[in-house]
Amino acid sequence: MLSLKDYQSDIDIKWCPGCGNFGILAAMKDALVNMNIAPEKLLIISGIGQAANTPHYLKCNMFHTLHGRALSIATGAKIANHDLTVVLNCGDGDCYGEGGNHFISTVRRNPDLTLLVHNNKVYGLTKGQASPTSDLGMVTKMQHHGVISESFSPLTVALALGAGFVARGFSGDEKHLSQLIQEGIKHKGLSLIDIMQPCVSFNTVNTFAWYKSRAYYLEEANHDSGNFEKALELSRQWGDRIPVGILYKKEKPHFTGRIHSLKAGSLISRTYNSAKLEQFLARI
Amino acid sequence: MSTNITIKIGGEAGQGIQTVGDLLSLVCQKTGLYVMAINDFESRIRGGHSFMQLRISDQPILAPYHQVHLLVALDEKTVQLHKSELADGGLILMEGTGQAAGSALQIPITELAMQAGGKITANIVAAGACLSLLGAPFEIYKNVLTDHFAKKGPEAIEKNLKAATLGYEAVKGASFQWVFEWKPESPKGSLIDGAKAVALGALAADCRMAAFYPMSPATGILSHLEMFSDHFPLVVEQAEDEIAAINMIIGASFAGVRAMTATSGGGFCLMVEALGFAAMSENPIVIVNTQRPGPATGLPTRTAQADLLFTIYASQDEFPRFVFAPATPTEAFDVMIRAFHLADKYQVPSLVLSDQYLTDSIFMTEKPLKAPEKIERFIASDADLSNPSDYKRYALTPSGISPRALPCMGKALVIGIGNEHGEYGHGSEAAENRVNMANKRNGKIHAMSKDMNPPKACYGDSETLIVAWGSSQGAVIEAVSMLRKEGMNVGCLNFTDIWPLPMEETISALSKAKRFFVVEGNQTAQFASLIRQQTGLTHSGTILKYDGRPFYPIEIADGVKNLVR
Repeated sequence: MLSLKDYQSDIDIKWCPGCGNFGILAAMKDALVNMNIAPEKLLIISGIGQAANTPHYLKCNMFHTLHGRALSIATGAKIANHDLTVVLNCGDGDCYGEGGNHFISTVRRNPDLTLLVHNNKVYGLTKGQASPTSDLGMVTKMQHHGVISESFSPLTVALALGAGFVARGFSGDEKHLSQLIQEGIKHKGLSLIDIMQPCVSFNTVNTFAWYKSRAYYLEEANHDSGNFEKALELSRQWGDRIPVGILYKKEKPHFTGRIHSLKAGSLISRTYNSAKLEQFLARI
Repeated sequence: MSTNITIKIGGEAGQGIQTVGDLLSLVCQKTGLYVMAINDFESRIRGGHSFMQLRISDQPILAPYHQVHLLVALDEKTVQLHKSELADGGLILMEGTGQAAGSALQIPITELAMQAGGKITANIVAAGACLSLLGAPFEIYKNVLTDHFAKKGPEAIEKNLKAATLGYEAVKGASFQWVFEWKPESPKGSLIDGAKAVALGALAADCRMAAFYPMSPATGILSHLEMFSDHFPLVVEQAEDEIAAINMIIGASFAGVRAMTATSGGGFCLMVEALGFAAMSENPIVIVNTQRPGPATGLPTRTAQADLLFTIYASQDEFPRFVFAPATPTEAFDVMIRAFHLADKYQVPSLVLSDQYLTDSIFMTEKPLKAPEKIERFIASDADLSNPSDYKRYALTPSGISPRALPCMGKALVIGIGNEHGEYGHGSEAAENRVNMANKRNGKIHAMSKDMNPPKACYGDSETLIVAWGSSQGAVIEAVSMLRKEGMNVGCLNFTDIWPLPMEETISALSKAKRFFVVEGNQTAQFASLIRQQTGLTHSGTILKYDGRPFYPIEIADGVKNLVR
């Protein structure tokens, strides 16, 4: 059996003290150990930003990529080797801003990936500008008259695009988040877990206390995660009460399972057949 | 050349011009003639003006010819646009019922097509008339047509054979100055366009993943690959944009398979961020840039060689890469195999510069296309590593090449990254480390340049050398033979391996000549600048073409004469 020690990294953690990312890191370790996924059997792909540093603080195969592009890179990795277990750590600006087009198309493709979006509603690493998920009117150093664009609702968008696993987690509840991550990894297809993550340095509005007083659990509210219309309605709920848990879950055909030429096995497992090529080339 | 005939078939998009070109090419190929065809069209699906220009010879053909011997006009516009290109004694075959007058030969193309079973067969009528004028035996056209329409059933074959016969008979008795005796021999080679050659080269190189966003003139490459994917371990994914396409192939490469993308200049612009990422994370990829003219959207269906310096320098900062520019489909096939091999060997990006002319033109390839017997992947398994539990993806080595393990394939934990990093792959901002890592990456260049092929000389000891690269090489070789026939002491030096520039060979080849001129499909003589920058050798003149069309040998020959004068 694995223990938390197997995922212990000795890399110096660069996050601010009290950062919401610590809760996500702890929940990930708990989930991976609980599922008995060995570090050498896991690939984490991350974008750019504070969230994207997460895999360095674990111990596993990882690819720390470009801002916004993690989903495309993960899709490519899955095409090459669809037997990989792939988890992504991205930020809100990373995944929904710079990578918005990839987010849309990846939800539509539905590759078997677990996408953790550390949503702190602000750009942390560049010192506090508004992000796509910042609430309307939020004042930052850069938006000093307040944010004037509507907030991006990732859960609504994902549902509208046909996502098969749409959930919201909270970094302040590691146990619950760990459960969500485990469910997400088990789900065949794209699992979106948007995680409410306080930024203690640059977001003075959406704090731990702010989230704690508003979050309620969908399991306790007897929500039926097979009810799409209800999920859509819940995805718009924000303010005094914020739903946490699995909004929607439905098994659907996943991307690599639909690709004809992968039926014979993963690309990486196949052998180069020079004789067959020679025959093919001779017919040209 | 005893036979050197150029036929131009022009009309509107949608009139089946390409089919006429394909059929005529096949008839020539099957009778042992050499043939090449350029495809000239506008960025539209219907209407406008497009043409195919076929050159037929009993000798190998390297480039299109500047004069037209037989102009097949499927519309009036074709006559107006191209009659000035007619050689003395050239003939225009056109729609009409009038008597032969001067250079025009009229036949009722549409009416004959209607008789055969529909207006749609007008192109088949025209091709029949064409072959009749050239003196080709009808039997061969019949066989080619039967094969071509086999999939569409006996009715379609019958209809088209009737159209062919009517066209063939309609010009019986008309005279064509260049009619020749057809002595059917076995084919000299296969007909192939650059797009297919690039795709086949990738397949032979064991490319298993290709991602792309549709863009002319590169899309043909992906269509071919997509068709191969039913028979080989290969996935072709149409991405949401070029950024996703290149990042997907980087992901596939990281996970362990050979992967490529193909695009044109504008799409390559979008890929540049990830090009740097592939270089920094040391994941081998292959990018084909099928050049077209102009910044922004430019001229989507035309040809150019103006992305050379952009391709060599694309991305911020400095890192090694390979750049190749094949001259012909045969070379493109071989270049793709080398591009993948060398990308893997050095863990760097390989870029292949093609262009619309090479991609869309039909060439005859005499050399059979051969796949490598084995593919060397340069991948380290646990067994190859002294201590897999302490694996360093970016280990500092004398060659700059670190053992490359794959994620989830053993005990070794693979950490890939685009930030500057230490040997394990974790981010590092230490000054000394930064210098070590930059030296490691760029330190590969010396060995990389040793793997580059030298330029190919043709009469390399001549007083004057013409230097060319990429698809202009064919026209330059023919220009050299034209000039030498006139007694000029001229040779050429052709580059397919562009970057890193094979320095010693380039310097020694150019130093022998009294002067050299550079021929390129761009406005600012980019390759001439590169040669001067790298070798200190300065050209004595340039012959540049940037109207979106390929070089004719005569333009180069005339250009050289002007420069020498």
